[in-house]
Amino acid sequence: MNQKFKINQSIIVDQRNSDGHSRTPGYIRGKVGKIERICGSFPNPEQIAKCHPKPDILNLYRCTFYQKDVWNNYLGNDQDTIELEIYEHWLLPNN
Amino acid sequence: MKKIKIGPHDVGGEKSSSISIVNEDMTYWEKYANALRIVVSSKNIITLDELRYVTEQLGDDYFKIDYFERNCLSLHNICLNKNIYDLETFEKIKKQKKIDFAIPIISLPDSTKITHMHDDKEHSHQQEDFQEDETGEGPPDYYYNTITIADIMIKKGLISENDIHIKIDQFDNVFPNRGKTVIAKAWTDNKYKEHLINNAKEAIRDIGIKLETFADIICMQQTEEVHHLVVCTLCSCYPRTLLGMPPSWYKSRSYRSRVVFEPRKVLEEFGTIVPNNKEIKVHDSNADMRYLILPPKPSNTDNWSESALANVVERDYLVGVRLPE
Repeated sequence: MNQKFKINQSIIVDQRNSDGHSRTPGYIRGKVGKIERICGSFPNPEQIAKCHPKPDILNLYRCTFYQKDVWNNYLGNDQDTIELEIYEHWLLPNN
Repeated sequence: MKKIKIGPHDVGGEKSSSISIVNEDMTYWEKYANALRIVVSSKNIITLDELRYVTEQLGDDYFKIDYFERNCLSLHNICLNKNIYDLETFEKIKKQKKIDFAIPIISLPDSTKITHMHDDKEHSHQQEDFQEDETGEGPPDYYYNTITIADIMIKKGLISENDIHIKIDQFDNVFPNRGKTVIAKAWTDNKYKEHLINNAKEAIRDIGIKLETFADIICMQQTEEVHHLVVCTLCSCYPRTLLGMPPSWYKSRSYRSRVVFEPRKVLEEFGTIVPNNKEIKVHDSNADMRYLILPPKPSNTDNWSESALANVVERDYLVGVRLPE
């Protein structure tokens, strides 16, 4: 499956509301990070949740974010990171 | 910045209380409820995402009701929506289940002749005393819902009683040992360790462990430079078929909300001190990957066999909240 993003590419998580069930936590929406690895492709959980008969198959990326870029006043090492899995339709290139 | 609307389940970043790090054992009702949920989702009768979606609609009630009760309520609501049964049928069967469960009060041959001491005075025994003893603590109401849902699904041929009991047994006796076996092998075999880090799913399968799950496994190795730690801020994603049930604290609101923004403080509560100059990587297990942390091999275990090593692997190491001595 064609991937929109490459490893190490800078990304921003779309800052939008989800329509029902979503696996993109609120705290990471709107944050800048980069692609850590490509995890393969999986059916869209937002559609499975609503019993969609043919859910879209989406690329899933592990993304890494510096903690200091995610939380205001993060207390800790500047190199500390948080990593999570984001489906392609939640990611935007950070140009 | 625009404000995002999120569900009650989405707690990452919330300020919360300290974590109760004692793992509370599961009751039989909880084990049964867990097994039913796993059987139903693994047979694709109701998917995990459908269950999550309905649970997320509970609003303020989400944290007011117990974890397994919450799951059971969602399962029930979906069954009604999908016409797996109607409410009337459900209530009728539930009523019967309650009757089946009631324990009759045993009458003594001649209760007035039996005496005992109360406040230094002799009393004849009354039935109430026995009633208290005989009823004891019964199952919670949601357990009747659970066994009612199971009963209907079994009668419809969707699942079998055996499916549920196999799952309860696997969660008790099989799954918790698998991760320990994998780690002990990685501690004794460098080639295997590399394979595990590069392709955990394949490495686990290669030693004969069938995980029966769609999710992928990623293994992260604890090093001198980086400390890894796992959480699921959205629910309680955990490599269950590799490690067994997640401990109660893993599912708690305080762990789920705090680990992402104050990992050092949380680790301190587990007695794990990570100096500020060592990097911490928090892994939010939020989608289709599951995580296994490879801890360093304990000291003074040089010539130990794999099975001896497996015995010293603790679950907390594999989530990253503690390190071996």
